[in-house]
Amino acid sequence: MANDVGARAGTVARRARRAMFWRMVARSVTRRRSRVLIAVLAVGIGATTLFALASIAIDIPRQMTREMRAYGANLLVMPQDGDSAVPVAALAGIDHLLEAAEVVGRAPYRYETLRLNQAPYLTAGTDLGAVRKVSPYWYVEGDWPGGPGEVLIGQDIAEWADLGAGDQIELVAGALGGPAASADAGLGGQAGSDGGDQPQDVIEEEATGLFAVAGVLTTGGTEDELILMALGDLENLAGGAGEYDVVEYSVAADSAQIEELAGRISAQVQGVAAAPVKRLTESDDYVLSMLRSLLALIAVIVLVLTMIGVSTTMMAVVAERQGEIALRKALGANVREVEREFLSEGLALGAVGGILGTGLGYLLAQVISLNVFHRSVGMTWWLAVVSVAVSTLVAWVAALVPVRRAAEVDPATVLRGE
Amino acid sequence: MTEPRDLLELAEVSKVYGDLRALDEVSLSVPRGQWLSIVGPSGSGKTTLMNIVGAMDRASSGSVLLDGVELSGMSPKELAQIRRDTVGLIFQKFHLIGHLTALENVMVAQYYHSMPDEPEALAALDRVGLRERAAHLPSQLSGGEQQRVCIARALINYPALILADEPTGNLDAANEQIVLDIFRTLHSEGATLIVVTHDPDVAAEGQREVALDHGRMVREVFHVHP
Repeated sequence: MANDVGARAGTVARRARRAMFWRMVARSVTRRRSRVLIAVLAVGIGATTLFALASIAIDIPRQMTREMRAYGANLLVMPQDGDSAVPVAALAGIDHLLEAAEVVGRAPYRYETLRLNQAPYLTAGTDLGAVRKVSPYWYVEGDWPGGPGEVLIGQDIAEWADLGAGDQIELVAGALGGPAASADAGLGGQAGSDGGDQPQDVIEEEATGLFAVAGVLTTGGTEDELILMALGDLENLAGGAGEYDVVEYSVAADSAQIEELAGRISAQVQGVAAAPVKRLTESDDYVLSMLRSLLALIAVIVLVLTMIGVSTTMMAVVAERQGEIALRKALGANVREVEREFLSEGLALGAVGGILGTGLGYLLAQVISLNVFHRSVGMTWWLAVVSVAVSTLVAWVAALVPVRRAAEVDPATVLRGE
Repeated sequence: MTEPRDLLELAEVSKVYGDLRALDEVSLSVPRGQWLSIVGPSGSGKTTLMNIVGAMDRASSGSVLLDGVELSGMSPKELAQIRRDTVGLIFQKFHLIGHLTALENVMVAQYYHSMPDEPEALAALDRVGLRERAAHLPSQLSGGEQQRVCIARALINYPALILADEPTGNLDAANEQIVLDIFRTLHSEGATLIVVTHDPDVAAEGQREVALDHGRMVREVFHVHP
């Protein structure tokens, strides 16, 4: 019975002490506003910068892989060994496998050799709208073809044939036999240039079409030796339908994801083989890893500077309260009690600064992302929790040394009036 | 076990800072319930004596027996325990915590002693005539009011010894009388008071007056009050 009463009294005393402890911490934080503001600001600036950097670093792969799709297709689908074309039916299967991925564009190509002024040129029939999405970096002098009967010609062809936007050209199909007349998958140069052994003079059935040159294409690559037209125009001229030599995909994903997708397409879709364009996917990864390393380095520097700033602020705040610490000790507080009170204040300041800083950091990340990537950055909640936790920890660590030093103050300084 | 008659017994207490002997073999006994005034010029050792008696500093040599407990050789933690249990401190500059109200300043002493008790802290403020000012911050109180809060804080844990360092040094005449009235009441209730002062009138309020000079006791006077 007496034990019960004693235990209850002990519990009441502990609760009353705990309530007073937090009351003192709260009063110190809420009633010393100007001083608290400086400490919160020191923590908050660090939290703002760190959260903004981390948000961008985490969001960069999503942002940059999308941005890097401006450099052309990163996944090619070709006929499987032995097959001459990608069947149209295979595209549905590929689309199904790419459902989860962000496909920026898909451009199917059929290649035929057509003659212009008796000279054979490799001609691609494609979906020109899709090509613009897959390869937005292509430069066209003049206009993109607006409808049937219009073509793009590569810059080299324009020079060789002395053509420009607005000119009319006559293209002839089915003129020459032999292997040079049907291009394999991939972009070649002037068709027939390496087919010197083949018979060049076997004229079978000719089909002729008149086309307007809408624009001259410059890519700096093999496309400069190509004629591009709508797939329908090529099918009308050269005959045949429903088969592609190659299908180019632009997918917003990193190199590992592209490799994995290519493997799945090759394994699961009959009649096709898929391969990543390594030159692009690997350079994407390299740029991303460089950016991430740079951001990590900046984050570490900011963290160190924040630690220094918060430590200095805490030192000033604690030094200012040296008299109060001495008084508390004169009233009977021991070193540990003083440390606990002041470090708890440090934690409270860190948490407040961390919450405010994280909020501002999100806004900063938005501003940076909107200005650099032209799209908003998502709120990463787990990162927000980490940001507040790190800010609180930084404030606590920063307060540790000055508080420990201050807690050793001689209580007699109170009587000396210091 | 009976309490010792003397609350405080100093035997040949010295405090040395380098070459300076701030206290030089001072011996002094203070019976329970006595009001002792300590006077002396600046640098005479008054504050050093207060620090040692108040368990805020340790003597270099000699014995300090407070309420039957020897303070010499105690650890800082043990001295803190003595301060919270046995001594009530009143300061010339009040030393209230600026961001806490009058009531909370009193409760801080309770917090370190045992447990905060708001009604009891309010009663202590009531005793010094400041119940109505309990929710005010120190900056909203006059000097006299701040000193009374300081007295309420010193009394809240019923200390065996009340140590006051120039308690009226920063007060006007009216507030000085208020503080002295409180001391008279405390003394009449049996409290043991040691008051350090420069003011001869304040010193004369005590039953006994001890003068220090260059760390030594040079004079002792007993005052008879009607």
